[in-house]
Amino acid sequence: MLKKLLAGVAMVAGLTTAASAAEINILMEGVPDTEYVKTLIPEFEKATGHKVNLEVVNYAEMHTKLVPQLVAPTGSYTAIVVDFYWVGEFTKAGWLQPLDDRIKADGVDTSVYVPPMRDLVMQVDGVTYMLPFYNYAMGMLYRTDWVADQANKDAFKAKYNMDLGVPQTWDEYLKQVEFFTKDGNYGVVNQGLRPDPIAMEWSNYLFANGGEYHTADWKPTLNTPAGVAAIEQYANNIAKFGPTGAASFSFDEAFNVFAQGKAYSYITYNFFRPKVDDASASQVVGKADIIPVPGPEAGKGASLNGAWGWAIPKSSNNADAAWEFIKWVESKDVAVKRALQGGSPTRTDVFDDPEVNAKYPYAQALKNMLLTSHNFPVFTYTPQLVEVLGRELSLVVAGEKNAPDALAAIEAEMTELAKKDGKLK
Amino acid sequence: MRKLERALEKVVPHTVLVAFSLVILLPLVWIVRVSLTDKLTAYKIPPEIGTFGFFNYADVLTEYPFVSWFANSLIVALAATGISLPLATAMAYAFARFNTGGASLRLGLLTSQMLPPIILVLPLFALFLAAGLMQSRVGLVIAHMTISLPFLAWMLVSFFQGDVAMLEEAARVDGATRWQAFSRIAVPVAAPGILAAGLLGFILSWNEFLFALVLSGPGTQTLPVGLASLETHAGVEIAPLAAATVISLLPVFALLPFLRKHLIKGLSLGALK
Repeated sequence: MLKKLLAGVAMVAGLTTAASAAEINILMEGVPDTEYVKTLIPEFEKATGHKVNLEVVNYAEMHTKLVPQLVAPTGSYTAIVVDFYWVGEFTKAGWLQPLDDRIKADGVDTSVYVPPMRDLVMQVDGVTYMLPFYNYAMGMLYRTDWVADQANKDAFKAKYNMDLGVPQTWDEYLKQVEFFTKDGNYGVVNQGLRPDPIAMEWSNYLFANGGEYHTADWKPTLNTPAGVAAIEQYANNIAKFGPTGAASFSFDEAFNVFAQGKAYSYITYNFFRPKVDDASASQVVGKADIIPVPGPEAGKGASLNGAWGWAIPKSSNNADAAWEFIKWVESKDVAVKRALQGGSPTRTDVFDDPEVNAKYPYAQALKNMLLTSHNFPVFTYTPQLVEVLGRELSLVVAGEKNAPDALAAIEAEMTELAKKDGKLK
Repeated sequence: MRKLERALEKVVPHTVLVAFSLVILLPLVWIVRVSLTDKLTAYKIPPEIGTFGFFNYADVLTEYPFVSWFANSLIVALAATGISLPLATAMAYAFARFNTGGASLRLGLLTSQMLPPIILVLPLFALFLAAGLMQSRVGLVIAHMTISLPFLAWMLVSFFQGDVAMLEEAARVDGATRWQAFSRIAVPVAAPGILAAGLLGFILSWNEFLFALVLSGPGTQTLPVGLASLETHAGVEIAPLAAATVISLLPVFALLPFLRKHLIKGLSLGALK
């Protein structure tokens, strides 16, 4: 009798689990942070009974694959990850579900996210559509051993009448770039490929000169002395202080020049930092570190921010299961586990976690980088603006256009795009 | 003087041929070289021997769902070609022998080839979503057939025109039925062309990217989509990518002897007619 009763209870329990268990399909890009999530998914599946299917594709093709799914009444994806490039387009098209009610009902604390993340991949016009997933803010990789070398310190002092140290300002950094272009090495390696690599990298130059893309009411502010200086410095660095071909380098080629020990510095995504100490990909293990891109004054960072966010599409086939997953993957414990594997956090409490700091001594530098970072314009036409920037910046680098003309062209097209989007009246 | 001329006659064409061969071979040799080394060595200019081994092949087979990508590509390509080929043969025969549908149907068949694939893939996406075929191999096979069927039918028409018709008529006079004339005369005569079309259909499906990207799912990704995922926002996994590329070339290399024998013969037969 007891056996029958137990069997009955077990059957009912089994049925209940089967009825509430869901398949969660998520489209992601093949980056390290995706791999870190993948390793932790069995924990979620064990705890909830859900089955998670991660579909990994190439970044360049993600948008092509996502859009038909988002337009459909009910698509194949339960949850998605959204690059900041697409935030304006996806929210304006009404493809993402607002999360505020779910956040409130479950008491999820969103104040833990680093503030610049909130404007980039969390809220649009006060509505929360995403929870930030991982950041790819840009920082400056530089050779610590070259800076520490006494002969370099003496020579630098003699040439510039200032001490050689970790660059505190942009002007100081530019002097170091010139100084370290010697003995077959380069002061800097740039990622000049159009449109995305050059546009993203140059944005750091703009902020480092004290420039911004637009005013609070979206009037472009590029054709200014800061903008002109940023383009001229960029073109100059490629032409005089970088390797041949840097004008067509993407981040992979550029990183490899740095990893082979040929360049003093490289402005790049912070998730490349762990790769510097990976002996299978780097010859500069223990000889380089990352800092926020120096700004016009000491302590004023000029790094470009970048990030991905978790979202539930309107076409989600199971929004409740999607939210359950997002809550779990963005919980502090799971976020710390991801960070300990080398992930790029978006939460301040993860950056401050003792275990994370013990394993990655540069965690605080990365946190400062995020705190002082600047956002790229987020609106419906972000990808189009990147195209315009890529085209015009490349023309200046190739010597086919001067900086003011290029900036005037960018401003004109940016104005049109902002008007079309209703940002600029 | 004549000796010099003769020597030049040999040397000049061979130099040109060697140069062209190198243009084609060097990228392949480079991929093989990269597949046998690590990322650090792979990017070194001038090239170095550096680390050497088959570890990238082991990585590809254990760290990535390569076996699944490969199996999906093979199943989809074989099924799409296996179903398309008999249908295309029958269609081509009907066009050649009965002028079925006239010129307008033949042209109509080509319209799907004239449209950019992205225009075809969106309606297919909507249809498959409604029919529950999204992210399934069956859906991919149907999608690939929309490319291969018209192409193969067009390619095969010329093989059923000309002398084959006279041979068939002779068979009919000897008492063969229409089906017997088709199956015992026309098809065997056009066999090299049919085989060539089949091989091309297989390669078309094997290499197809856009349909496979939009219509596949986590367990049904094909090789081109899987390989593309190794080019990431955080850099290109160049060494495993090279190893995966080498393995994915193997089926095409396995088909090479057949290609040489039948494809060239089949294509030139068609061209002569």
